[in-house]
Amino acid sequence: MSTKFSGIWIGEKDLTRDEEFLRDAQNEVQSPSIIEALGEREVAEQVGGNRRDFLKMMGFGLGAATMAAGCDIPVKRAIPYVVKPDEIVPGVANYYASSFVDGGDYCSILVKTREGRPIKIEGNNLSGVTKGGTSARAQASVLSLYDVNRIKHPTVDGEKVEWSDLDRSITSKLASARGIRVVTNTILSPTEKSAVAAFTAKYPSAKVVTYDPVSSAAMLEANEKSFGDRVIPNYHFDKATHIVSFNADFLGTWISPIEFAHDYAQGRKIKNVKGAKMSKHVQVESQMSMSGSNADNRILVKPSEQGAAIAYLYQQVMGTGSRSAGLNANAEKALKQLANQLKSSKGSSLIISGSNNAAEQEIVNALNVSLGNYGNTISFDSASLQRQGDEKELVDLVADIQAGRVDTVIFNNCNPVYEYSGIAGLKEAIEGVANKIGLSYTNDETTNTCNIIAPIHHNLESWGDAEPKRGHISLIQPTISPLFDTRQGGHSMLVWAGSTALDANAEQPYYDYLRSQWSGYHANSDFLSFQSFWDKALHDGVYHGNSGSLVDIASANVDATSAMGRITKPSGSDLEIQFTEPIAIGNGQYSNNPWLQEMPDPVSRCAWGNYLAVPVDFDGVRKFKGLNGLIDGDLVDVTVDGKTYRVPAIQQFGQMPGTVSIAIGYGRTAGGACATGIGVDVNESISLVDGRANYSSANVSLSNKKGEEEHYSAVQYHHTMGVTAPNAAGETINADETTLAPGYGNIFSGFQGSLTDRSIIRHSHVDDLEKSVEDLIHEREHHEGLNAETLYPYNEYVAEKYSQGHHWGMHVDLNACTGCGACTVSCMAENNIPVVGKKQVARHQEMAWLRIDRYYYGDVNNPNVVYQPMMCQHCDNAPCENVCPVNATNHSSEGLNQMTYNRCIGTRYCANNCPYKVRRFNWLDYTTGDLFPANQVKVNNEEVPFGADNLTRMVLNPDVTVRTRGVIEKCSFCVQRIQQGKLTAKTEKRGLNDFDVKTACQTACPTGAITFGDTNNKEGELAHKFESPLNMIVLEEINVRSSVRYTMKVHNRDESLEV
Amino acid sequence: MATNNICNREKMIVRLLKPFSFLALLFFTTTLLAQPSADAGKTIFRNYCASCHAKDMKTKSTGPALGGAQERWGDYPLEDLYGWIRNSPNMIYNVKHPRAIEVFEENARSVMTAFPNLTDDDIASILLYIDAQLAGPATAGGAAGPTQEVKKESNLSWLYWILFGVLGALALILTRTIGSLDRVVASKEGRTVAQQPLLKQVFSKRNVSFLIFALIVIGGYNTVSNAINLGRQQNYAPEQPIKFSHETHAGINEIDCQYCHDGARRSKHSVIPAANTCMNCHSAIKNGSEFGTAELTKIYASVGFDPTTDKYIENYEELERDDIKDIYTKWISDTYLADNSLTALDKKGKKTVDAQWEGIVNSLTNDQKKTIAGPIEWIRIHNLPDHVYFNHAQHVTVGEVECQTCHGKVEAMEVVKQHAPLSMGWCINCHRKTEVKFEDNEYYASYEAYHEQLSGGEKEKVTVEDIGGLECQKCHY
Repeated sequence: MSTKFSGIWIGEKDLTRDEEFLRDAQNEVQSPSIIEALGEREVAEQVGGNRRDFLKMMGFGLGAATMAAGCDIPVKRAIPYVVKPDEIVPGVANYYASSFVDGGDYCSILVKTREGRPIKIEGNNLSGVTKGGTSARAQASVLSLYDVNRIKHPTVDGEKVEWSDLDRSITSKLASARGIRVVTNTILSPTEKSAVAAFTAKYPSAKVVTYDPVSSAAMLEANEKSFGDRVIPNYHFDKATHIVSFNADFLGTWISPIEFAHDYAQGRKIKNVKGAKMSKHVQVESQMSMSGSNADNRILVKPSEQGAAIAYLYQQVMGTGSRSAGLNANAEKALKQLANQLKSSKGSSLIISGSNNAAEQEIVNALNVSLGNYGNTISFDSASLQRQGDEKELVDLVADIQAGRVDTVIFNNCNPVYEYSGIAGLKEAIEGVANKIGLSYTNDETTNTCNIIAPIHHNLESWGDAEPKRGHISLIQPTISPLFDTRQGGHSMLVWAGSTALDANAEQPYYDYLRSQWSGYHANSDFLSFQSFWDKALHDGVYHGNSGSLVDIASANVDATSAMGRITKPSGSDLEIQFTEPIAIGNGQYSNNPWLQEMPDPVSRCAWGNYLAVPVDFDGVRKFKGLNGLIDGDLVDVTVDGKTYRVPAIQQFGQMPGTVSIAIGYGRTAGGACATGIGVDVNESISLVDGRANYSSANVSLSNKKGEEEHYSAVQYHHTMGVTAPNAAGETINADETTLAPGYGNIFSGFQGSLTDRSIIRHSHVDDLEKSVEDLIHEREHHEGLNAETLYPYNEYVAEKYSQGHHWGMHVDLNACTGCGACTVSCMAENNIPVVGKKQVARHQEMAWLRIDRYYYGDVNNPNVVYQPMMCQHCDNAPCENVCPVNATNHSSEGLNQMTYNRCIGTRYCANNCPYKVRRFNWLDYTTGDLFPANQVKVNNEEVPFGADNLTRMVLNPDVTVRTRGVIEKCSFCVQRIQQGKLTAKTEKRGLNDFDVKTACQTACPTGAITFGDTNNKEGELAHKFESPLNMIVLEEINVRSSVRYTMKVHNRDESLEV
Repeated sequence: MATNNICNREKMIVRLLKPFSFLALLFFTTTLLAQPSADAGKTIFRNYCASCHAKDMKTKSTGPALGGAQERWGDYPLEDLYGWIRNSPNMIYNVKHPRAIEVFEENARSVMTAFPNLTDDDIASILLYIDAQLAGPATAGGAAGPTQEVKKESNLSWLYWILFGVLGALALILTRTIGSLDRVVASKEGRTVAQQPLLKQVFSKRNVSFLIFALIVIGGYNTVSNAINLGRQQNYAPEQPIKFSHETHAGINEIDCQYCHDGARRSKHSVIPAANTCMNCHSAIKNGSEFGTAELTKIYASVGFDPTTDKYIENYEELERDDIKDIYTKWISDTYLADNSLTALDKKGKKTVDAQWEGIVNSLTNDQKKTIAGPIEWIRIHNLPDHVYFNHAQHVTVGEVECQTCHGKVEAMEVVKQHAPLSMGWCINCHRKTEVKFEDNEYYASYEAYHEQLSGGEKEKVTVEDIGGLECQKCHY
């Protein structure tokens, strides 16, 4: 029986027509009584509620309302500036170019500020690295500025001190220190590096220990050995026709995902239907990574087979051997085939690996050299500096401490105690050090061991710079005065070094220091005066300097044969585990950011916690079971190298049989209110092999089901539409319809309003594109035919209404969308969308206006994936509008489906009637503006509900209403931006241009997948995109006249690489 | 058969009449509520006219005396007068009405603010009020005024009471007729129905329940309309920490509104000016015409400007309260001495200094703000609910709406008050009537159909409503 389905599916329940799921999919409200949310289950049962209680509550409510109405209107104050800063006009946003930097993560950004407070991050188009794109992490960084867990003042031994006292205390300790270590993540800032250099120069016993939370050290070592330059080269995914990634999640987390996603999309977008070309992407991995989900083919190998797979491909390309040691037969066949293709496309392929084994990376280098990729798809000009660390130095640090050679450690905003708990004795060693100085932002596992804490600024409060790639230098400028009594890390280092380069009495000492450091760049520029050079660099946020290559490829030392002996040997174990870095929270660095916690993982669609991905077993008929009979949300004991973790499981399509995987970065014990206790910490099981972190293990065992997770917070079955499933004969039929009309055969199919053939996704192979487009056009004609059978034909009655002025529309290119989630976080930030927490997510009550639906298609054993950003479609014939009893949702003359919160009475008819399931109801008081605290939700074990404090509220966008309990909300096409853009055009007395109005999701996208604009502007970019023959409308057949167009998903799957 | 028909017809008449008698009552009640009246006119006059026109209708104020206006316009149809009151510039410049130009010339060629949102009923009410005021004894003092008004009102409403009586009697007669017809029908059908006494008929179950129903409806209507007005504060004129006079600044000295409220043209907020804007002038003008040093010194104390030395005080925020007191009491007493040509403070002088210092402290500090230094916390007058988005730039720069249209004649206000109700209905009415500056703004070129209709004469003007100005999400998002 075939394991391939022509349709798309969401998950196992969808494929098997799980009865509970189908029932849920029909109901608007999935969760039990609302009263349960008010307290714990027992309390809910007690308050049960009956008619009398209802009347009592009504009476109380009426009384309370009367009392409230009887009160005086409060006196409000209007407080002007004493001296108004020139650049601030209250009510008008200012944008400042800056950079998002966290360790090696980098994004060039524009910071939107209102009345002097940063509220939103946008991408910087002038950057040669991120090219205007952003990531979810960069988007969410503005919220961490207002983190209530921030350290607010310097402390010594837990006592609050003045900076001068702290400096005195530290310098006296440093003066008498035996051995000093500065432990840090990758430092991208040249200026901070020089500050650290000044420090090490002052104290000869000081050494810098650099490591990365997730290591790429083997790559650096391999490149140093092969090319003599300890850097990561410059990859050009846009130039590659064949991309082979060995377990490197380059679109999600690996090195520079924003940049890579942008370039990658260039090769994936379809420009012409005739003779369409796109790159071919093959991912070799065991678990479904985000990059793997975008790949055309995935070659499944166990984690321990990675080395063998790389070696085998090398041998096949070189023709030096046909033997593979322990590689599974399927992979062997596929890699052999792949090698032939690579050989015939020399100079245009690109091979990367996420391996942390230096020998394997050397073979990858040898592969790229022999395929002639250096100079074409890989170069050493503008080489990446985004990973510089090596955890071997941490190992050495532990040895030095244990040997008594170190008595003072400075932690530069890093958390090795949590991240490298796999290094034996690390925590104990650090605890035993006499002087531990934390340059810390919030309390964490490492800071908690420190006796002196010198709190640092947020990026948005700092001066600084960053050099993510050689010659690409960008500035960091403060957009708000420091909120607390903090000081920049580099500044502290210079003070402790007693540096004369720093004028401690200056108004902004570190600013002056930064400028002095930049005089060198000025010397190489065309600018006459430093000030004009500086102004330009600060305005642009970026400066492009000398980015020349230091490497001569011809003299590269790429001896793969010696490396062959040092690769990881396949284990032959029945079960292996892969540890993965989550897209949102990294290795815990971002885990205290609730926006990132609430953003579902693109592939597993889990929020708030890590889940053990277990493979799904297809029995050939209709049964899909997870490994060991596990199903979604089952608790299970997984034992890795003797350590047992109880984790919830999730059935993951595309997970290789005989392997499981789980995300790191969760289970923080001291990570702040939103991080602590969320998920399970597995970092202890990341063992060291040759001093390098090994993110997999072959020594794994898995128990049977041990229970069920209380709040199973995967959103993959939430807000489903057009559920399809195969019937007993293996044909795809519509599950809704079967449920609706059992035993009635086909009489309910194939006519207007029927539920069959719901058009949600269309996909095609790139080679069949012309035919698929014909089919699509045919199908759309069919839909149009169905839609024309109405008393009120659209073209006669409605179309004319929108023919003048503006008519807003959106285009989403599914071939460019990688599922990274930057748009969803951007939407949260722009539109004041509340965070609801794990429990509410489990109740299907997440509030995100924009969700990214993930559908599988193809082979159930190794499926392809398509991501579909789904937001309000602003239907011109909207079903939600007709059912609102109070007309709170209605249509504007510009084609917007308007939602008026102050008119909404919360019947939720609209949400029920929305075919796209994009309307969200405020079940509880998420924004904490309610009269009754019982209605407020605590996102995690916080002291006060999230956002109930004035600090967190500073992030709110003042142009968007904060919704209260009991109203519906949904995507507004960023109407506040539309209105702002229109106003700008009006005041300038000119027509509206494309650049006037861009939605938050559009500006956040690193690949340009989303285009927003005025469909009536025939010269606009949107009108151009609307003409693409690949376009389709989701659920076009139901005649709702959506304003959003999606493209057909085009893939380049190579059947010859399949078994 | 025929009898039956008659029976049916009579029954039908009865059925039709029954509700009518009550409808008549209901109709009467509603007319009583909506009629133009001098009482309503008084409110409108106070809101729109009183800032320029004298209340006695006989003396000339900023605007001419209004008494007899209707007679003076007697040669022309009433609509002209209404048009004049609603939009005088239009009547002068566009219509070129002879009487309008006459009045324009009589009054030193100054125009009256346009009130496009006044309805015909509103204007009728104003005219009634003018007549009522004029009819009052001219020599009566202020105390007599209100009594006179009350009397006048009762004079007017007796007509309604008579109407009420007539309609009530009509209802009674109808009730009786219905009773008789009922009996006729009954007898024709062969039933006998005893004649009910009138009282019983009037207080029948049906009538009483209807009365209760009507009371609930009227009560509900009142509750709702009062509830709608909750939170609205038209005519709100709180006392401000500084007795800032818009009349002095914008009226007498003719300072442009946007000199201080510089956000109005470019931002959603009109912006309460920062104290440094005050200092642009008041670093030189140190004595007010009305309050002398009392109010201006508050600004100096807020920003830390020493008027004696004409210098800003360094590290002002860190000064102790007593040091600040020394600086400003010195200034106040010096000025007092100079004004009164004294060399030492007399008793009155000491009192003045103490009172003024106390004024400074009270104005610049409150429960939240303990220091003298820092911003002046004005009382906000115009408050929109949080779910309303309003943008000044859209109205001032794009719509070219005069500030006075919404804020009233601020230049004549000694104490600023909220002129407009700032209700949604008020916004909507203006959006319905206001013409969009369509011709001279390239932005509106995309409204091709309207442009065609305008040039083809099918459309006279394009209002804000036409381009979607009434849609929810223009203001609520």
